[in-house]
Amino acid sequence: MSRDPLWRAVRLLDVDARRVAGAVAAGVGGLGSAIALAAVSAWLIARAAQMPEVAVLNLAAVAVRLFGISRGVLRYVERLVSHDVALRGMATLRVRLYERLAAGSPAGLLALRRGDLLARVGADVDAVGDVVVRGLLPMAVAAVLGVGSAVAMGLFLPAAGLTLAACLVLAGVVAPWLARRGARATEREAAAARADLAAVSQSLLDGAGELRVAGRVEPMLAELRAADARLARATDRGAVPAAVAAALAPLATGLAMLGALLVAIPATTSGVLDPVELAVVVLTPLAVFEASAVLPGAAVALLRSREAARRVVELVDGAQPAAAVSPVPVAEPGPDAPPLEAHHLAAGWPDGPALVRGLDLELTPGHSVAVVGPSGVGKTTLLLTLAGLLPPKSGEVLAGGEPPDRLERADAAARVALTTEDAHVFDTTVLENLRVARGDVTVQEAEDACRAVGLDGWLEGLPEGLDTRIGADGAAVSGGERRRLLVARALLAPAPVLLLDEPTEHLDAGGRALLTGLLDGSLAAGRAVLVVTHRLAGLEAAGEVIWLDRTGSVGARGTHTELLEGPRAVPAYRTAWQSEQQEIG
Amino acid sequence: MKPLDPRLLQRATSARRYVLLTAGLGGLTAAAVILQALLLARVLSPVVLRTADWADVAPLVGWLAAVVAVRAGLVWAQERFAHRSATRATAELREQVLARAVTLGPRWIVAHPGVTTLATRGLDALEPYFVRYLPQLLLAATVTPAALVVVLTHDLIAAATIALTLPLIPVFMVLIGRMTQGYADRRLAAMTRLGTQVLDLLAGLPTLRALGRERGPERQVAELGDAHRKATMGTLRVAFLSGMTLELLTTLSVALVAVGVGFRLVFGDLDLVTGLAVLVLAPEVYLPLRQVGAHFHASADGVAAAEQAFAVLEEPVAEPGKAPAPDLTRTTVRLRDVTVAAPDRAHLAPAGLDLDLAPGEVVALAGANGAGKSTAVAVLLGLLAPDGGQVLLDGPDGPVPLAQVDPAGWWSQIAWVPQRPVIEPGTVREAVERGVPVEDRRLAAAAELTGLDRVVDGLAGGWDQRLGQGGTGLSLGQRQRLALTRALLAPAPLVVLDEPTAHLDAGGEQVVLDAVRRLRDQGRTVLLVAHRTSLLEVADRTVVVTAEALVTP
Repeated sequence: MSRDPLWRAVRLLDVDARRVAGAVAAGVGGLGSAIALAAVSAWLIARAAQMPEVAVLNLAAVAVRLFGISRGVLRYVERLVSHDVALRGMATLRVRLYERLAAGSPAGLLALRRGDLLARVGADVDAVGDVVVRGLLPMAVAAVLGVGSAVAMGLFLPAAGLTLAACLVLAGVVAPWLARRGARATEREAAAARADLAAVSQSLLDGAGELRVAGRVEPMLAELRAADARLARATDRGAVPAAVAAALAPLATGLAMLGALLVAIPATTSGVLDPVELAVVVLTPLAVFEASAVLPGAAVALLRSREAARRVVELVDGAQPAAAVSPVPVAEPGPDAPPLEAHHLAAGWPDGPALVRGLDLELTPGHSVAVVGPSGVGKTTLLLTLAGLLPPKSGEVLAGGEPPDRLERADAAARVALTTEDAHVFDTTVLENLRVARGDVTVQEAEDACRAVGLDGWLEGLPEGLDTRIGADGAAVSGGERRRLLVARALLAPAPVLLLDEPTEHLDAGGRALLTGLLDGSLAAGRAVLVVTHRLAGLEAAGEVIWLDRTGSVGARGTHTELLEGPRAVPAYRTAWQSEQQEIG
Repeated sequence: MKPLDPRLLQRATSARRYVLLTAGLGGLTAAAVILQALLLARVLSPVVLRTADWADVAPLVGWLAAVVAVRAGLVWAQERFAHRSATRATAELREQVLARAVTLGPRWIVAHPGVTTLATRGLDALEPYFVRYLPQLLLAATVTPAALVVVLTHDLIAAATIALTLPLIPVFMVLIGRMTQGYADRRLAAMTRLGTQVLDLLAGLPTLRALGRERGPERQVAELGDAHRKATMGTLRVAFLSGMTLELLTTLSVALVAVGVGFRLVFGDLDLVTGLAVLVLAPEVYLPLRQVGAHFHASADGVAAAEQAFAVLEEPVAEPGKAPAPDLTRTTVRLRDVTVAAPDRAHLAPAGLDLDLAPGEVVALAGANGAGKSTAVAVLLGLLAPDGGQVLLDGPDGPVPLAQVDPAGWWSQIAWVPQRPVIEPGTVREAVERGVPVEDRRLAAAAELTGLDRVVDGLAGGWDQRLGQGGTGLSLGQRQRLALTRALLAPAPLVVLDEPTAHLDAGGEQVVLDAVRRLRDQGRTVLLVAHRTSLLEVADRTVVVTAEALVTP
């Protein structure tokens, strides 16, 4: 049971058992009223036909009216309670998910980012919550009512109870099973078709202009039609068992009625069953099947949610092994220990080879280092390792004398602040985005930081200045503005060491000035700065340039001038520099 | 909201046949429901009154069995074929929406981000509408009146009871409709907001961790969830309340009918056959109406999606030009005073841009971030109508405004490498060829020049490697190399390159410079958008694009 992702995900909802019991009770009461209403009306009419004293019927008449009211009221209560249970569960699940991901291993989280799991999590959580409302609760209600009605009918006439039970199995077990089979047949093929549909739709919308100019809209629409046709075929195949399942509902109801007639009429004529009870035994089953009518839908809902549940559980499991880290007791950074040092460091992804090897590094306050090298050599991986987000493959990293990957995240970040190239711009105000670095950034500090990175003009143009919301993923922000905003955020971080990945990519001529400012200490006075870049302009200001060769080893190190000319000059560095120089000149 | 929007039948032609089928099945169902009730009453009554035994009623039970079989068969037919038209109608609308969105252009798409969701998932909500709601609506139009008529012929008083309560139901339906509409809208808005905010936090988690700030937002996630629950429960209480009233009304009516029938039986005003028939038929009168109410929520989403689709389809598009496009090898493209208002900010970008692009020239567009370089390109391509100024094509037959030129003929002469090139799903080779086969030799030569050959060497499947959506598996820089290769191979006389070096390192930049020189050697006209000075050098001329702040009073 614990293997089943659906159950695991449902358990993560952490639903309150008392609330669930309340919802089931209300559901049983509501639908039970409908059944009782049918039974009592049948009795009332059959008994009335025998023309007894009116007083005999009075109690039944009151009961009929009472059940007429309780049905609606209890059903209302059930719907409210069950939705409340589900919504509470979904809120809990979201928080759990966030907490697990926040506490899980950084490498796992970064790996997840590359998949589409995060993009789907919203809908997946909803689907898991839906399990409660559409799947589990109706099943519980139907089970209680099915057993109850069969037993009640059995009390009148055992054979009638058995017939009803058999028909309920048909409608409540066989039909859902068939519906589920149909849905599964559809799902498997439909999922592929839907993925194609989404891919083609996305390409069409993302590349609307390009595809029109290239005359590719019509071929893409043809692809879309083909995918839609595949989807239709898959749905059609699934409809074969699903149609049988749907037809089973009226069939089971009819069979229950016919079966009751078959066993109860001879019983009546032979005197075993009272004629009035005959009406009850034959007419009550017609109402019982309302409870089982929702079960095929519930079975399908469970099936659909299972896929979503699997993804949610995967997300939670994927973020696991942070616990392998044994946190070092938090110690104040020693006054003598350099803010950041690395010895014989090899960096790489946990499940991959070492990308960068043999790096020695010492960053002291006010010192700046630029790491350059061809793209794809592992510069970003190196940064993640230096920041303690990835464990070193070998060698060691020490931030203020302690390995940052074994410190509590908050403590590690207080020593080393990293701004990656794909750092997130949150869907909130400019100020709140800057406060991501430090919660107590004042308006004045924020404005100063914006001015320092050359965003003051942009800020003045914004309708509400620092309080302007910037769109999802900073959509209303251009690439260059985003980059500067990230640098401003990095500058506001309290850590004595700043690590920046490609801080001036997407910037025009002003980018060089920004990089120079970062490296020559005028922007981050008294702090150690390490910048990774693939462009060389502005590196004259760096205290040290580390040149990584294609193998990820340190090809050369020294100042920009030393690498360019003199005994330690690196031909590859000079070539790259000249090609850049030539452009600028 | 209308229960059945005629536009749906107009736009989705497949839906029409289905509505007819469903209506036919509905009529048959009505007949079966009534027959079953009448037969059951005639079987039960004599046995209850001890005037008949099994042998007397057995033939009627046989008929009853036949009716049960027919009812099951009708449901089977409905379920077997119902979905077909739903999937087809969805497909038809999806295609129309996407085609229209593409015609409306990238800027419209960016301003209407909901279109993606609508096309990929939103329209799927039409399925419950077609498969659940619409059949019940048609049953309400057949079974309900037919059953009522039969009750009327049996028992006037019961018929009157039903006839008095029945009109209350549409009244409540309208009330529910009003409330559900608001509920569906609000829920959608609340869920979208909540969803994006939570996703935003999850997506930003690596950033938060990098800065050691991942603790804290979980409170925000919890608060967002709680706010969402409270808002939803508030609307649900109202929405379900009207549903309850509806249910209460119908069950209570059935109860009243039963009690009334019972008392008239006691006084001998009614015979048992009639009483039983009315008792069985009374709920059937209300059932379709109750089902319509039950499926209302599901259908509301479908109708909301259909309305969104209609809104897109009714969005006006400029009539495309009809004039034949002049031959670009002999035509100068002139932008005159081209001005575009930025979508959400108080800027004109570009503001008053003049640009001449003569055949065989290599012209660079330069300017600060946000000056409107890419917008200028969109105007020149004819993808965006400028707010001021115009584009003239000065060809051998005299100048003609771009707006009057047939777009297909114009675009067939242009190869455009945008900042984020689209890689259509398919193999690498298909992505380069785009339906126009290229000989291996030319392909290899072009790929060598752009460095795509090294990219392909690194792929497991080489040229036949399949690329996913948006060219997953290729970095942006690699996609640019691919698009550049495509531009080199295309026979178009005008090549437009938008920031071709943005995602390439110094070595990659050299590739672009070589490619531009090659294009120039081929005698092609090149328009380059450059934010790096390196590219300005290879251009014959540089035109600076400037933005202008709008002075607001």
